[in-house]
Amino acid sequence: MKFPYAMLLDYIVTDRSAVEIGDLLTMAGFELEGIEEVEDDHVLDIKVCSNRGDGLSVMGLAREVLAKLPEASPTELYERALRHFERPDDTTPSKLGVPVAIDTEACSRFAYRGFTGVRNGEAPALIQKRLRQAGQRPISLFVDLTNYVMLELGQPLHAYDLDKLRGPLIQVRSAKPGEKLTTLNGVEHKLAADQMMICDQRGAIGVAGVMGGADTEVDAGTTRVLLEAAHFVNTSVRKTRKQLGLNTDASYRFERSVDPEGVVGALNRVRELLEDLGHGEWPVEGVTDVYPRPPAPPSVRLRLWRAHMLLGMEVTDEEAQGYLGRLGFQLDGGDGDYDVTPPTWRPDITREEDVIEELGRIHGYERIPEVLPQGATVPGGGVTGRYLAEARLVDAALRCGFDQAMTHSLRAEGPLDSPSHASIKVRTPGSADTDVLRNSLLPGIADAVRRNGSHGVHLFELGPVFQPPFETRKALAFVSSGSLFPPSRQQDTAPSADFFSLKAALVETLSRVGVAPTFEASSADRRFHPGRQAVVSGPGIHGVIGQIHPLTAEAADLPADTVLGEVVLDTIGEAPEFHFKPVSRTPAVRRDIAFLIDKSVQFDAIERAIRAALPETLEELWLFDVYAGSGIPEGQHSLGVALTLRKADSTFTDEEANRERDTAVAALAALGAKPR
Amino acid sequence: MSAVQQLVEEASGRISGASTTADLRALELEYLGKSGSIAGLMRGIGALAPEERPGFGQAVNQAKDRVQSLLESRVAELRVTELESQFAAEAIDVTMPGRRTQVGNRHVLGQAMEKVKRVLGGMGFVYDESPDLEEFKYNFDALNYPPDHPAMDDQDTFYIDDDHLLRTQTTALQGRVFERVKPPLRYFTIGRCYRNEAVDRTHGHTFHQVDAFMVDEGVSMAQLKGTLGQFAREMFGADTVTRFRPDFFPFVEPGVDFAISSPKFMGGAWLELGGAGLIHPSILERYGIDTERYSGFAFGLGVDRIPLLAYGIDDLRYFLDNDLRFLAQFPG
Repeated sequence: MKFPYAMLLDYIVTDRSAVEIGDLLTMAGFELEGIEEVEDDHVLDIKVCSNRGDGLSVMGLAREVLAKLPEASPTELYERALRHFERPDDTTPSKLGVPVAIDTEACSRFAYRGFTGVRNGEAPALIQKRLRQAGQRPISLFVDLTNYVMLELGQPLHAYDLDKLRGPLIQVRSAKPGEKLTTLNGVEHKLAADQMMICDQRGAIGVAGVMGGADTEVDAGTTRVLLEAAHFVNTSVRKTRKQLGLNTDASYRFERSVDPEGVVGALNRVRELLEDLGHGEWPVEGVTDVYPRPPAPPSVRLRLWRAHMLLGMEVTDEEAQGYLGRLGFQLDGGDGDYDVTPPTWRPDITREEDVIEELGRIHGYERIPEVLPQGATVPGGGVTGRYLAEARLVDAALRCGFDQAMTHSLRAEGPLDSPSHASIKVRTPGSADTDVLRNSLLPGIADAVRRNGSHGVHLFELGPVFQPPFETRKALAFVSSGSLFPPSRQQDTAPSADFFSLKAALVETLSRVGVAPTFEASSADRRFHPGRQAVVSGPGIHGVIGQIHPLTAEAADLPADTVLGEVVLDTIGEAPEFHFKPVSRTPAVRRDIAFLIDKSVQFDAIERAIRAALPETLEELWLFDVYAGSGIPEGQHSLGVALTLRKADSTFTDEEANRERDTAVAALAALGAKPR
Repeated sequence: MSAVQQLVEEASGRISGASTTADLRALELEYLGKSGSIAGLMRGIGALAPEERPGFGQAVNQAKDRVQSLLESRVAELRVTELESQFAAEAIDVTMPGRRTQVGNRHVLGQAMEKVKRVLGGMGFVYDESPDLEEFKYNFDALNYPPDHPAMDDQDTFYIDDDHLLRTQTTALQGRVFERVKPPLRYFTIGRCYRNEAVDRTHGHTFHQVDAFMVDEGVSMAQLKGTLGQFAREMFGADTVTRFRPDFFPFVEPGVDFAISSPKFMGGAWLELGGAGLIHPSILERYGIDTERYSGFAFGLGVDRIPLLAYGIDDLRYFLDNDLRFLAQFPG
């Protein structure tokens, strides 16, 4: 809320500067968002929390300053405002005689005053200036006065040209289906039931609590005014204004709560201002006030020992009485135990903790000491279970030389999306490139690889992916492109990323959570090269790995040798348990086997055959050579496999080692291998 | 001079004149080898009278030892000079770059998250998570948002349908924990939050949030301040101070905004980090927790703010752009 500091000084006496008062309001919960000089005055811009509608007025903020700053004192205007600017003869209904009917529970009070013989010219210079300072546009005397008094007291007002009202009568009711209303801003609305309207004999003349109608607007020719002040239920105003696409200073206040007891005071304040301007003959005697649902503020118990316990600082009886009294609360009781009744402008106060917050913020949160929690809370803390496993995966992927990426969950659909299920669409997207939830991490990481130049870029991400209908899953994905090492001297030419470099990284990473994945040839995933992809499975994980499909590579603007892989982490758990095995002191021997074999025999089968043949002595096995080409029959290749053999308790003789090798060769022969 | 003496004289001259260890190896062979000069002398012993033989044999052996020792000392001398020239030839330029290797780097936000996990984990908070794609009831209802309240206007939400949305705050974990864990408890989480906001240097539709809460007997604003103070000092340095300012969040009462000040950041100005407060008693009651016995606190803050402050980063968009030139500035 923006207002000139001078208006605050109408209500309180203080020698503090605008900046000091702004800081004080900040520490009371009304944050000073800005302070600027407009037309020679300081204008404060105060952020008012959505539960504190009472702060959307100069009077309300003045009350906060008075509560927080005992040295400040209220002005005579403040005291009159507290008494609603009432005079003894104000008890009779308005002599204007327009009947009012409230036919909706969403209107708790409707009141008006009449003004006759008026000239709706310009407002006086000071009021116009203050409205401009508050960011509003002066329009005419009556419109400006309603806005000015709303700024002062927080009560929205609306001035009708009485001669444009039909009946004349006022009815507050729900709109009828098909009913129409053109509001002040010139927009015609088709109304729906449940939308609360102010109506005259023929139909809607204003959207209750939001905006008046164009038909009954005051103008330069207006001579008779019906000035409305009312109270509407916040949720009803909010619903209607959202449906109609309107947002006004009035609706903003009603949504956040307006004091129902302040309704008539605002009407009286307009009368007073007109009298001050020399228009004492305009006001019509009396106020018509229909008030079917007055508020019933709760009585809340306040125990100061509990305030002490929850705040962690002590507030004395005397202090509590002072703070709450200045804020308009009524206290019964004493000696640390009170029944507290909040003022009608504080519907946010419903229980003891709410009152304790009042004590805390007026006493000052800066006085709360720092204390560390003690007691039997919980043994230990930190990252355990699946989250520890995820942390181990990240660490392992980093050690494999991959940079960690974090990419957006909201994306547009693209060629690297997972084909296994649809993407979830956002019903209210911010833009066309953020209208789906990613179903795979690959598109985001691939994008990052591309934007980093695609050469020697190796990225991974561990993060959420989304599956219909409403599932959030965690996945781990890698994208790897180009040289495996950064450029170095020419004689050190590094290998490029390929299926097998990525496979090694994936196996290494998953091993850190005790998962040894299997790889099964596949051609099902359209994102990958049909001859160079595999389905990855293991306990608690499933995924896919492969070289990018050349057409996908084109669509995604990536090199054709880019490799990618992703596993969904379904049920990974605690880090694996490890068990000690004694380390053998006998030396190992190495034997190599080179053989020709049909390409159709998968290495998997070869490895299984060798392991089965040498169950006791085979310590390690690796493939050191693959060769096809000249000298090798079509459809075959030559493989070189190295075996490390070791006995637990004695040293291999040459002869024994050769026998083990021959056993392995015999097992391979059964697969059709021919030794070279 | 005897033939033996003559041989030793000659060998001595040649050994001291040799300039390479290779020459010395040749001289060794020539004098001390199986068919060398000294062996030749020894073979001549048969031509001597029996009484002369012991004296001659002794003289030849002495000559052999002498030549041997001359060779060894000359070898040692030459080895030193030879190594010196070898070292000079083999010297490298140590200022040439190392052979580069590929080392993975943790994302700058990942580093901040790890640090938060260490600090809060160390204070006894248990890490847990809730889904990004959240149910309306956990994101709003369970957190005390009244139906259709302006408080929701602060959080422009990405809806999937009427009951599902992208969580706007990781505080959504609270209801899920209260459903299955009874106090005393301390929990924290880190995750992505989403709000339908226009993207610029300081706003994004996606950001990351830490949320922590505890429920126990006697939990107070002072304990909240102590915990946040400790957290801030561990995250931002021992000279960091923490400030509370009243603020409103439907799920806390009292509610505060907390700010930090450090001489390291913006001249010690107050920098707002997040929201906090005592967990609203009506939330505790909803989960059957006796509010006369128990109270709790909760706080939340943006993870993105941490590196923003620590490193002076001026644009949030860097974080999810993954430009390696940016990420490499923060090795970790």
